[in-house]
Amino acid sequence: MTQANFFKRGILPGAQAGLIGGLLFGIAMAWLGFLPAVAALVRSNSTVVGFLIHLVIAASIGAGFGILVWHQQSGTGETLFWGLTYGALWWFIGPLTLLPIFLGQGLVWDIHTAQQYFPILLGHLWYGAITALALVAIRRQTIPADQSEIPQKDVPSLKRSGALLRGALAGLLSAWLIGSMLVAQGQLTGFSSNAMGDSRLLAWLAILLSGLLAGLGFAWLYPRPRDSAGAGLIRGTAYGFIWWVASPVTIIPLLGGKGLTWSVETVKVMFPALIAYLLLGAFLALFYQWLDTLVRLLFSDEINTDDEEGAGIQGLQAIGRGALAGLIGGLIFTLVMAQIGFLPKVASLIGSSSIVAGFIVHLIISDLIGSSYGLLFRRQSYDVGSALGWGVSYGFFWWLLGPLTLLPILLGVTPNWSITVAAGLIASLIGHLGYGAGLGIVYYLMEAHYSPWWIPANQKEAQRVARRKEQVLTSAPALWVLIVVIALTIPLVLGM
Amino acid sequence: MSPSLRRDLLGGTLAGLVGGLIFAWVIQAQGMMISVAGLVGSSSAAIGIVLHLVLSILVGASFGAIFRYQPDSYATTISSGVLYGLLWWIVGPLTLMRLLLGQGLTWSVAEASAAFPSLVGQLLYGAVTGLSFYLIVALYLSKLPEFMAAAETPHHPSRRVVILGGGFGGVATAERLEQLYPRDMELEITLVSQSNFLLFTPMLAEVASSSLEAQHISAPVRAALPRSRFVKGDVVEIDTATQVVKVRAGRSMPLEIIPYDHLVTALGSSANYYNLPGLETNTFALKTLQDATQLRDHTITMLEQADVKPNEAERRRLLTFVVAGGGFAGTEMIAELFDLVHNVRRYYPYVRKDELRFVLVHSGDHILPELTPELGEYALNKLQSRGIEFKLGARVAGATPEAVLLNDGSQIPSHTKVWTAGNQPSPLLKMLPYEHTRSGQIVTNDTLQVKGSTNIWAVGDCAQIPDLFNTGKYCPPTAQHALREGQVAAENILASIRGKPLKPFRFQTLGLLVALGHRTAAAEVRGYRFSGLLAWFMWRSIYLSKLPGLEKKVRVAFDWSLDIFFPRDIVLTTNAVQSSPSIDSQADPAPVKSASDVEPAKGNSTNENPVPSKNTPLKDGVA
Repeated sequence: MTQANFFKRGILPGAQAGLIGGLLFGIAMAWLGFLPAVAALVRSNSTVVGFLIHLVIAASIGAGFGILVWHQQSGTGETLFWGLTYGALWWFIGPLTLLPIFLGQGLVWDIHTAQQYFPILLGHLWYGAITALALVAIRRQTIPADQSEIPQKDVPSLKRSGALLRGALAGLLSAWLIGSMLVAQGQLTGFSSNAMGDSRLLAWLAILLSGLLAGLGFAWLYPRPRDSAGAGLIRGTAYGFIWWVASPVTIIPLLGGKGLTWSVETVKVMFPALIAYLLLGAFLALFYQWLDTLVRLLFSDEINTDDEEGAGIQGLQAIGRGALAGLIGGLIFTLVMAQIGFLPKVASLIGSSSIVAGFIVHLIISDLIGSSYGLLFRRQSYDVGSALGWGVSYGFFWWLLGPLTLLPILLGVTPNWSITVAAGLIASLIGHLGYGAGLGIVYYLMEAHYSPWWIPANQKEAQRVARRKEQVLTSAPALWVLIVVIALTIPLVLGM
Repeated sequence: MSPSLRRDLLGGTLAGLVGGLIFAWVIQAQGMMISVAGLVGSSSAAIGIVLHLVLSILVGASFGAIFRYQPDSYATTISSGVLYGLLWWIVGPLTLMRLLLGQGLTWSVAEASAAFPSLVGQLLYGAVTGLSFYLIVALYLSKLPEFMAAAETPHHPSRRVVILGGGFGGVATAERLEQLYPRDMELEITLVSQSNFLLFTPMLAEVASSSLEAQHISAPVRAALPRSRFVKGDVVEIDTATQVVKVRAGRSMPLEIIPYDHLVTALGSSANYYNLPGLETNTFALKTLQDATQLRDHTITMLEQADVKPNEAERRRLLTFVVAGGGFAGTEMIAELFDLVHNVRRYYPYVRKDELRFVLVHSGDHILPELTPELGEYALNKLQSRGIEFKLGARVAGATPEAVLLNDGSQIPSHTKVWTAGNQPSPLLKMLPYEHTRSGQIVTNDTLQVKGSTNIWAVGDCAQIPDLFNTGKYCPPTAQHALREGQVAAENILASIRGKPLKPFRFQTLGLLVALGHRTAAAEVRGYRFSGLLAWFMWRSIYLSKLPGLEKKVRVAFDWSLDIFFPRDIVLTTNAVQSSPSIDSQADPAPVKSASDVEPAKGNSTNENPVPSKNTPLKDGVA
């Protein structure tokens, strides 16, 4: 890999892609009236100057992105998440930090500044996503055919259409599930931010259509995911976030002629749709990967199954280890629960209000979730870092599904995905993240004791390192950060 | 600590310092205050910065140790830094700091929002730390002289443990070693065995009686020992001088030389015929899986032939079943044979019930001498009431294809003779130049080391191990002892490698269980005695739980459940015995055949030895 090559295929396409992303972002900034603030960098307040400066910054940040993903896997789906994460990080670095420093204003990182700059965060996410997509497209054109490493090209068209079919099926199924949850809250029309009016039928159509499109898009981005259903679930959650940013927050209001409604006040209203889309994405990916596994089992001729010991052994092992890890994670969570006095509420699941009953119910739930973690995330962690990533992400998923959705349903209360409810559950969110961290790490440590067992002892370490490296070059690390950033910033910024 | 971990820890420390410095500079330059000084009850900015830097360094070091350096993965290292920084926001400002400052913990949205500045700070600190960690280590590696880089490559195993024998003792040793050394590249465990499975001997009689499938009571060693090397072969030579074991994996294969640092002998025992005439060729043993399946096929063949043979004398030989030895194996075997024959008799209309004869020959006055006399009596009465004959106080003096010869000169005409009355340790032990007992067991001390050696260990039936609970006595050759001996041997090998004190083997028999067929059993557990259906349930549940491997447990449980609904199978899987009713034609595959030059085992086995430890008087009797 020569330096010229690095420049020609890394930095330059990155800058070009950044320019494309910056163009759209710049239009949005102009619309929102943020450009004069940028122009102030050169002591000007002209929108045009601001736009030009903005483009220069966008191109250089894009060049940085070209460097960042230089070694990473080059698939569209993989790069997309790196782009989103990169964009989100630059929101913290750029408008929140560097801009005030260069402008000579005092650095204020507080929540009100963050709220004020929230529209820019959405812009940054758009910028990151578009830059990533543009970079993949540019690179694909410039890469000589013989060096093409894009796995999607290997997929024959027949298989591709099969994947799309599965994606559509998974999308419709998960849309129906989410739609039912929304109906239970009387929030059906809120899903697509009321753009369809108050008609029930239209609202259902909008949900199913979104599910269908999301499913097709997922199948197009990740035709044959190689990792486990759990990794897919996390990917799906982040994918749902993209859809939320794209659809109810941006495109539907634009189509509805409402303009860019990115301010905290308007986006707050769409918080239920965020939960809906996150869960939609998670279920969609889960169903998709299960369908994919089913197809593999039934129609694949693959006999290279060294690491398959049969469901009887590995499934039970995963459940057992997951249950133990869940217990330990649950104990961490108990500290939070006991502190905020949440245990009686958990106890009310079995019609009690005692702390002891709550503790026991809580541990049982921790155990069950831990077992499901074992089944979903078997052999996905190759070091403590990735264990932490998967565990914390899974904890966040259960915050969405647990206290926000299932707990009210089981208690016979209508679930409410509004931001006020979510903001009231921040402590529970922290607890879930801590639970996930404990769960992931303990599970990894138990699994690392034995796996991978099908390889001779002296090659195991090399194999683990190789697999870790393979994972590191996918979008998994970007997913973990994106999920945690979503989990920690969005409810705070919107909820305060 | 491995060199790469030390490198990453150091790199993380430096990166944490860089991240902390930039963070502090940005904050100070913008007139914001670092609030950690309050932790030590101070409000000085200088103390705040120092404390902040110390914390940054600690978090950075832990980042390096957890996330490690991976070439080409700066994207991941940066994003991991962000992730780690955000998690520390939860642990630090949101939790620990409030606790230490004596503020209450609520994690409410207001509280978390108030800490939002430190969230942004932690995030940026994480990103900077991650990036500088990657750069620092990459720079270090690019400057590293090549010879030092080479020194970081993993080295080869320096501790080789070779285990001979794949029975309970050997497999337990290897399993424990694997547990104790989950990821140690230095240790290489090799297990040498003639069979590639661990045979669950307590259920062998049920295989012989066609109620269990042969494969279901044996667990593959390779699956049980994922990180050990397994060699299926015969041990040809043990050379303690050069510390090697020579193994032949097949007749035409060259000798495999396996060097060892620690040697564990768990070679078990084989049938001992005490040079009695005709025994070895005319009787069945009950030590291997093949023994059991042959006995089953033979028994069914006897019924097949009796169904067509008119000759009265031959019918009597075909339908008489003799077991020698009234210990656990012999008693269970005669009960199971009885069950088998009666269970399948309906298929053979010309075999009359009154023609069937089952005889147990036992030298003592009580069968099952390991149990209390009451239980022995119970078993005797139970089996007698079913119609099994007992010849107590009688010894087998020899066997012909047609009959069993007893020491009082009488004969029992039979084609089916099972010998469970004597065991001898593996003759391979003779190659060890250390102290042996008269029966050929190798003598160990209470830490399971072979007497006179520091790196040779012996467990199971082949070893004479002092029983610390009964001074002057030795551990009985049971599976429960072999298992525990194997585990202690593994722990002691570990201790001796690490130069720590060895621990003596102490184990008291948990209990003894004998199945008597037909939903009855007798059991003695920690002094409590059980019999009948309850004991039978105990037998089945305890042994099922001891059966190695979940898969086999499920299979055996299914076999047992199907037994309730369907009769036993009479499919003959071999036709070796069909050609002749005599067992002469069977090639005996018993692993050890040099019985002629080995002295008899001492009478301390579960298969109670009817022969006194001096076997010479018997020879007179035979003569």
